[in-house]
Amino acid sequence: MKIDHSLPLEYSTEENRLKIFGFWIFLGAEIMLFATLFTSYFVYEHRTGNGPSGAEIFEITPVLMETILLLASSFTIGLGIHAMRLGKQKAMMTFFSVTLVLGLGFLGFEIFEFVTYIHEGAGLSTSGFTSMLLTTLGTHGLHVTFGFFWGLSIILQVKKRGLTPETANKSFIFSLYWHFLDVVWIFIFSFIYLKGMM
Amino acid sequence: MKELFPIKQVMGFAFSLILTAVALLVYFLDMSFTAGITILLVTAFIQAGLQLVVFMHAGETEDKGAIYSNVYFGILVALVTIFGTLLIFVWDM
Repeated sequence: MKIDHSLPLEYSTEENRLKIFGFWIFLGAEIMLFATLFTSYFVYEHRTGNGPSGAEIFEITPVLMETILLLASSFTIGLGIHAMRLGKQKAMMTFFSVTLVLGLGFLGFEIFEFVTYIHEGAGLSTSGFTSMLLTTLGTHGLHVTFGFFWGLSIILQVKKRGLTPETANKSFIFSLYWHFLDVVWIFIFSFIYLKGMM
Repeated sequence: MKELFPIKQVMGFAFSLILTAVALLVYFLDMSFTAGITILLVTAFIQAGLQLVVFMHAGETEDKGAIYSNVYFGILVALVTIFGTLLIFVWDM
């Protein structure tokens, strides 16, 4: 394995570079997954039937908390990757842990929000609107949940093996995934919540 | 300690928070639907671009061209799918 020391560890071999590129291709497919969900949401947005509308069930406080938590977690994982490039494993581990805690906070608010919706009579089969709302939010929430466990395994592995081209590459790819979830959230925040409450 | 907080990323985070605050104006101020959606489109896409460039290091390696082409193509297909569907099913054209 040829290691190029002029590049950051996560890019240092041909295989690493290709893995990162491959993950970008996967993110392209993820863009499409969420695009189809947004498409269906926009089509069913006003088909509320006998159920509540967005303006009736959306609340700004939990949504704002979720936004700030996820935005902050995207920042801390960025700092984690920066620390990794400086070779500071301890700082990197701290930033990654903070990221996951913020992610858990996000999930906490989202679960609270879902429970509130169900109590208010906005279940998965209430109307076209609630169905697509919960499917879109749920798909994003599942991604965050998956990301939490993925990130946890990354932390454990770096702890066990230290920073090698392999673990650095995995950490970097995980950071791409986490940032992408924040990008998706920006669109959910803007075009589902804020648009619905406007 | 200071080296752990690169100015580029701190600025990126601050700018994201500002864009979020601007987007919130559509909730707190009374404005027309067109004005509101315009603000949201602008703030959302700038913020997404910020994540891509500042935090995801999209333009750092020799794969830059391929990475950006892939993202642009993804966004293009996403927009065509969303607006094409809206055109047929919602705007009745």
